[in-house]
Amino acid sequence: MTKSGKNGPKQGSSDPELGDLSARLKELSGRIAVERSERAESAKPPASMQDASGYARGYKLVSEFAAGTLVGGLIGYGIDWLFGTLPFGLIFFLLLGFGAGFLNLVRAAKRMPPAQERLNTNPPPKAAFDDEEED
Amino acid sequence: MAQGIDPIHQFQLHDLAGPWNIAGHEISFTNSALFMGIAVGLITVILLAAAARGALVPGRLQSVGEMWYEFVHNMVQNVLGHEGKAFFPLVFTIFSFVLFANMLGMFPYFFTVTSHVVVTASLAVFVVALVVVVGIAKHGLGWFKLFVPSGVPLVILPFISLIEVISFLSRPVSLGLRLFGNMLAGHIVLKVFAGFVVLLGSMGLGGIIGSIAPLGMAVALTALEFLVAFLQAFVFAILTCVYLNDALHTHH
Repeated sequence: MTKSGKNGPKQGSSDPELGDLSARLKELSGRIAVERSERAESAKPPASMQDASGYARGYKLVSEFAAGTLVGGLIGYGIDWLFGTLPFGLIFFLLLGFGAGFLNLVRAAKRMPPAQERLNTNPPPKAAFDDEEED
Repeated sequence: MAQGIDPIHQFQLHDLAGPWNIAGHEISFTNSALFMGIAVGLITVILLAAAARGALVPGRLQSVGEMWYEFVHNMVQNVLGHEGKAFFPLVFTIFSFVLFANMLGMFPYFFTVTSHVVVTASLAVFVVALVVVVGIAKHGLGWFKLFVPSGVPLVILPFISLIEVISFLSRPVSLGLRLFGNMLAGHIVLKVFAGFVVLLGSMGLGGIIGSIAPLGMAVALTALEFLVAFLQAFVFAILTCVYLNDALHTHH
């Protein structure tokens, strides 16, 4: 394209061809712009693909909740094991673990479904997550 | 027969090359290590072959390579923004490894690397450890303010902080357990339904007719498992991005 563009002015006589070329160049750059915006659009569906599969989403939420509880319970049991205060640390940290699991759950739930609506604002998970952190 | 339909049998580790004693530890080359190696080798070969030509108009293989690259690239770009470019190789590696390990596991008689919690937990712990390292490197000790939300009354602040810490610590657990659980459960269910087909099929004509239902189920589950194999790799990669985003952009 650029090569023929360079050749155009040298020949001089081929004015109509030059006009044709610049028209074609303009058309091409227009097509590229459209293509780019289309591609930016089509690049996003993968981000919402996990929303499409309810199975994956459900599993994700469950694992978030379970992990919080599990870690809380493990920390409690570990503290009990260290200090020999068996039921109390477990009870306390299991409850905190439930809290943490719930926090995870709410965050994960908030992070995921509105992603489709927020696709227009550029970095969706960041915005969602940061709002959450401020609370 | 009974061994043929043992749904757990497929996850057994075998030593392929005897245990060597390295620094006081018994280390051996297992089938898990073999399939990890196959996954890494396949990724390398496919990507090298895809990038070898570098044609302006990509052929089939190059298209796949470019789509693969752009898919991860867009994901990193969308979640981490411009600063996250440094983490693209890491996310691409993790995504590719998990994807190939999952997909290789779909072949009959192949070993599913990601169905062992050791593998997935190692990946998850590595990611979260990286988040801590990057966070501290970028924000100094101020990064720990992540665990101290602003605007919380002083009375409940210790509890909130503890909950935040537990919530953070639960990330590697949920990240690792999810991948492991999905692969393990999927493969067991697949094996169980396939086992029904074998059992019913050996019971004469009525059994063969009756085995149509579990056979259909097994076929449907195979399709589902392919979806899960991809989705879990994707989820693992995108959560890596989301967690890294935490380390990069902490506003407090």
